[in-house]
Amino acid sequence: MTGKLYEMTANLGGFVTGIFAAALSLFSIAMRTFRGVFRFRGRAQGEVLKQMYLIGNRSLIFVTVTLGALGMVLVFQVCLQINKITGDQSQVGPEFIKGMIHAFVPILTAMMLATRVGAGIAAETGSMVVTEQIDALRMTGVDPVDFILVPRFIASVVMTFVLGVYAMVIVIVAGAFMAHSSFGVNYNVFFVFDKVTGGDLFIGSLKLIVHGGAIPIVAGYCGLTTGRGSEGVGNATTRAVINSSLAVIIIDFIISGVGLLTVQKI
Amino acid sequence: MITLKNVSCKMSGKQILDGITATFNKGEIWGIIGPPGCGKSMLMKLICGLYPVTDGDLYIESENIAGMSEVRLVPVRRKIGMLFQNNALFDFMNVWENVAFPLSRMNSGLSPEEIRLKAFERLKAVGLGGSEEKMPSELSGGMRKRVGVARAIITEPPVIIYDEPTAGLDPVTTSKIYDLLNEIQSRSQSVVLTISSDIIGLRSFVKNILFINEGKILYCGPEQEIDHCTDPVVYQFLRGLDEGPL
Amino acid sequence: MYNLIAKIGEGALNLCHETGGLLHLLFMVIKSLFPPRFDPGEFLRNLYKMGVKSVPIIILTAFFTGGIMVIQASVFVKRFGATSLVGWGAGYAVFREVGPILLGLMFSGRVGSNNTAELGTMVVTEQIDGLKALGIDPMQYLIVPRVLSMIIMLFLLTIIGDVIAIVGAALFGILIADVSFAAFWTSFSQNVHVADVVHGLIKAGVFGFIVSLTSCYAGMTVRGGAVGVGRAVNNAVVTAALGIVISDYFLTYSLS
Repeated sequence: MTGKLYEMTANLGGFVTGIFAAALSLFSIAMRTFRGVFRFRGRAQGEVLKQMYLIGNRSLIFVTVTLGALGMVLVFQVCLQINKITGDQSQVGPEFIKGMIHAFVPILTAMMLATRVGAGIAAETGSMVVTEQIDALRMTGVDPVDFILVPRFIASVVMTFVLGVYAMVIVIVAGAFMAHSSFGVNYNVFFVFDKVTGGDLFIGSLKLIVHGGAIPIVAGYCGLTTGRGSEGVGNATTRAVINSSLAVIIIDFIISGVGLLTVQKI
Repeated sequence: MITLKNVSCKMSGKQILDGITATFNKGEIWGIIGPPGCGKSMLMKLICGLYPVTDGDLYIESENIAGMSEVRLVPVRRKIGMLFQNNALFDFMNVWENVAFPLSRMNSGLSPEEIRLKAFERLKAVGLGGSEEKMPSELSGGMRKRVGVARAIITEPPVIIYDEPTAGLDPVTTSKIYDLLNEIQSRSQSVVLTISSDIIGLRSFVKNILFINEGKILYCGPEQEIDHCTDPVVYQFLRGLDEGPL
Repeated sequence: MYNLIAKIGEGALNLCHETGGLLHLLFMVIKSLFPPRFDPGEFLRNLYKMGVKSVPIIILTAFFTGGIMVIQASVFVKRFGATSLVGWGAGYAVFREVGPILLGLMFSGRVGSNNTAELGTMVVTEQIDGLKALGIDPMQYLIVPRVLSMIIMLFLLTIIGDVIAIVGAALFGILIADVSFAAFWTSFSQNVHVADVVHGLIKAGVFGFIVSLTSCYAGMTVRGGAVGVGRAVNNAVVTAALGIVISDYFLTYSLS
């Protein structure tokens, strides 16, 4: 009995120290990335542009298809409910546009990019770990975080924002199309932007920027801590997808909550 | 040049190296051998400062790198040229950029053009003239090894480490690689540490041998005298016998 | 110009190749199900590994999803003073759309990509060939149990997730949006119907099927060692996300 209790306590202790060690390591990578961004003097500008191109190129169709479909689905569901109650569809457009900008588009775009970009970064850095390229970088006195992660971080922040804005356009257009074709809502009734406040725009942009920064940091941490062996890179990629998605959900929750209590307060 | 005093290393609770004491002097060529998983690769990574020393002191030219921070390790690492087991060529750079990279990262005072010429010259010296613009993935195993060697020696470092320089290569390429390493050594006065599983090829190249088993040194001395070593593990390992402690 | 045409053609051929591969895998799975021939031990082991081990991540996701939904609903509701709509709005959105999609994406990230990594590792270390050499059909031993357990488990996990999301929504409704529990509950229980729950659960089953098929296919077609495994995982989660969203669109249409 005491033996078992002892073992349990030891396991719990190991678990807790493991979490602390991981948190510390994640924190250190984040700090080194931020420091790298401030020290960034354009010497790797080409690399940033290349990464921006890669992120955009890889994700454009993906974001178009997924967010377009989601926009149509969401409008469909909303209109269906309104039909059951009041049948007054005139408020659908303005409210939908407002909700998309401050809530749905940031989290959904970021979730999509967490799978697309986050997994990509982890697979790439993980491969560099198992092929010892990271060690080779360190041997030449280069901080892998500076060299690998910082350009991806900058590219991801910029491109998540750009893709997010693009996704808003796609979602709103797709939603309008759905409302028009299935529920007969006029386009000029749908495209009304006066419900959108400065607070909505601020919250939406803030979410996109923070998500865009969180994804490469979490994914980079997963990639750089890849274990040896043939299952290492696969596991790192898996961890990157799940951890960056979770990070997006929790960050989104925090920003939404704070936003509701501050800038979006009526 | 390199002095290890009672160096130990633990990773996730497992003792990988235990009380290693050795000295590698300028101009010496050492072979590091031992059964798989004995800790020889780890010893090399400790010397490069890629993993922290848990216990003991490790001097590279009078500087103790045990417990040194990543920032202070940078100048120490630049004294070491390393050929990695899997070459570790950067797959996002072409061949000459790979070779030039370590040089372009130190304050050598050379212009980018001079660095490029030097990389080209080094590639020619390892017999890869004409492949400068190729990507690593387009090269054969032996050619990649040569690129790795060229990258390891481009800064003319006082310490050179070859981790399995001939693994996975055919006998002809193997002997060519050893010829190349010999030629490089004849021109420089570096400390050379070589890990290899190919004992016969290795013994034709090195002057001294360090034998490690389960994280401990079993033999440390001249290459010729290891045949007289009476340790049962060394005896069995060198002769490839079935009977014995391994 | 020529290059562009060649690229489009290459893309189209790739797409056909992948679609054909997926359909072939689907056919093989169905063939192994009639009559059912698969390894029961492996099936149970996968149920445990994919289901029970995913409970924490599903709970975490669902809890915060509920929270996010109630916060968004209250931005809308506060302006109209219609607190009686919060429970309804959150329940409706969570059960029908946001719950299945977010949980499906998380399941794809946790279980689907893990599955791809595992199968891919078995491919690159020649374990699949080893099984075949031993006269064991990898389809019956590896694929079918995984496909079945993923469908069943995403369905069951979505039930848990739905409950947790509503708890989260109610909790954050009280804490942040000034909606009393009684108001939340009345609005929720009067306006949310069993049909909404069923709608979401059918989606969950289909999403589980999509995740299982794409992840097994990506895993079984890995090439190029450890690096290839990473790439395959990346492809698997992307294909699964696309599949989830596109099928969601058609399901929403056909279920209403």
